[in-house]
Amino acid sequence: MEMIWLVFFAVLLAGYFALEGFDLGVGLLLPFLGRTREGRDRMVAAVAPYVLANEVWLVAVAGTMFGVYPLLEGEVLFGLYPVVVAMLLSWVLRDAGLWFRRRIDGPRWRGFWDAAIAFGSLGLSFGWGMALYAAATGFEASPVHPVGLMLGVVVTLLFAWHGWTFLAWRAPGDFGATRSGRALLLSGAVAALPAAGVLAGAAPYLLEHSAPAATLNVLSLMVLPFAPIMLGAQLWVWRTFRPGKDAFRLPSFF
Amino acid sequence: MDVLDLARTQFAVTGSLHFLFVVLTLGLAPLVAIMHTRWAISGKPLDEAMTRFWGQIYVINYALGIVTGLVMEFQFGLSWSGLSHYAGDVFGAPLAMETLIAFFLESTFLGLWIFGWHRLPKGLHVACIWLVTLTAYASAFFIMVANSYLQNPAGSVVRGGRMELVDFGALLTNPSLVFAFPHVVGAGLFTGAMVLVGASAYQLRRRTEHVEFFTKSMRTGVTTAAIGIFVTMGFGYAQFAVIPVEDKFSGNVGAAIGLAIMMEIGQLLGLIVLLVMLPMIRGLPRRRWTHPILIAMTPLPFVLSIAGWIAREVGRQPWMIWEKLTVADAMSPGLTSGMVTASLIGFAAVLGLLAVVDYVLIARVIRRGPQGLDLGSSSAREPRTPVLSY
Repeated sequence: MEMIWLVFFAVLLAGYFALEGFDLGVGLLLPFLGRTREGRDRMVAAVAPYVLANEVWLVAVAGTMFGVYPLLEGEVLFGLYPVVVAMLLSWVLRDAGLWFRRRIDGPRWRGFWDAAIAFGSLGLSFGWGMALYAAATGFEASPVHPVGLMLGVVVTLLFAWHGWTFLAWRAPGDFGATRSGRALLLSGAVAALPAAGVLAGAAPYLLEHSAPAATLNVLSLMVLPFAPIMLGAQLWVWRTFRPGKDAFRLPSFF
Repeated sequence: MDVLDLARTQFAVTGSLHFLFVVLTLGLAPLVAIMHTRWAISGKPLDEAMTRFWGQIYVINYALGIVTGLVMEFQFGLSWSGLSHYAGDVFGAPLAMETLIAFFLESTFLGLWIFGWHRLPKGLHVACIWLVTLTAYASAFFIMVANSYLQNPAGSVVRGGRMELVDFGALLTNPSLVFAFPHVVGAGLFTGAMVLVGASAYQLRRRTEHVEFFTKSMRTGVTTAAIGIFVTMGFGYAQFAVIPVEDKFSGNVGAAIGLAIMMEIGQLLGLIVLLVMLPMIRGLPRRRWTHPILIAMTPLPFVLSIAGWIAREVGRQPWMIWEKLTVADAMSPGLTSGMVTASLIGFAAVLGLLAVVDYVLIARVIRRGPQGLDLGSSSAREPRTPVLSY
């Protein structure tokens, strides 16, 4: 049972990196590839239908951690207190930027929320690098250790590349390149590597600190039957918004 | 303030902000789902306009529900790791279920609903908003299961200095839950309905050109408000049969004030809705003198909702888990005033400002009426600001 939940947890965290990675990547690229207002609208419209389905993977990671690894939940989040607070604020700003940017017309309003998307994406991507480094050292080292900062840069660049690949898949040619679904799959797998690496190292520790059998049994009984529905809903998103004729339309809600 | 007060303030501020948006989400979701269903069946432009107009208000409100909720979820680990350490084996289960089988699906289906306009087949598109509604209520249910466990730690025993889950069924049938959950559901319906009434009153008072639209919206609002307040009051009073009123409210000034505000204003509103507004439902949209009163009533359900939570949460003090774990012991060991102050300022400033912006945006949609809506808009040619009538 511990093993099933470890796999579940690992899929959620790695999945978050592979999926939300391209949302954050597109946010990072917004000031660079989106020189014009129309360009930025197209970039946001390309990721918009996926964002809600992607970011929720991290909410699920946190929930699973609370249920399956309650002893670690406090340890991890409290151990990274300043980083987690900064990442949360970045996440909030990024989301607010997406929801608000098209609610009022006007260059200053749009510019402000587009900046919120870009800086929010940057804070979150960079924070992930630092958080992963701290996790890899068992929260012994400070996240602002040079290696942590370097990993922040690496994750940020990875996400930016993944976001670029996504744009080249969903809006072929619009931003200078065309990529296949297979290329997107590959960039997603690479974006998930940092998380997968830390998970592989932490696996024995996680197994040891799983919640007791009574809790895991209840969770399994309640949650596992829904796993196919969760997967199905995600696949439905990808099917509905796949590229092709009429792949994305403007104006988009975000 | 010492570090404990600061941490509690942070939870109170973010929790209250979160619920202001959640309570409207719970109320509007089923109403928008019903409007969308009507539209799918009738195909009438009026039903489409209602779905898009109230749907746009619903999703703008939803944005703040999400971002405040993110902070809530992570705050447990940041400030209250003592809770997961002592009772995570029990308390963590409903929270995990909330994220996995409720919110995960809710967010996914909401994305499909918002961006699936003109793309999904009619029936499946309607199914999305119903699934969003269903999972939103499931979400509320599991959060209430977790909260009720703190109020009354059922289904668990203390073993080796930690709480262990022995009977999950007892968590789901917790006396603290079975009345409180319908109470919250009723409050959500009431709040959403009163927003329909207040916004419609505003438009009708201004002699809107969309008379049929806002007449219908107001009647839907009044009917739903009557159902909502009836359920809220019924289950609210029924709660007193099962919770230790003496322990939770006497000698606890904060909780007693919250309770008093909720009950006094709640009763008054209940009387107005059930004995005045409901009997007047046919004529209400035409009687313009009533409209300023209806507009003034709109914020009250929000005030009541927060007062209710203050009564419930402050009433539990000084316990995090009733008679098992104090809030002082639940706080993360090593948490300093500096840490909480910095994060409190950050969260309160950012979320507070975003909340204000969000309400301004909702007010703009209401003022502008059912035209130039972003939700479900089909082409760039559709004017966003057709008339600047204000």
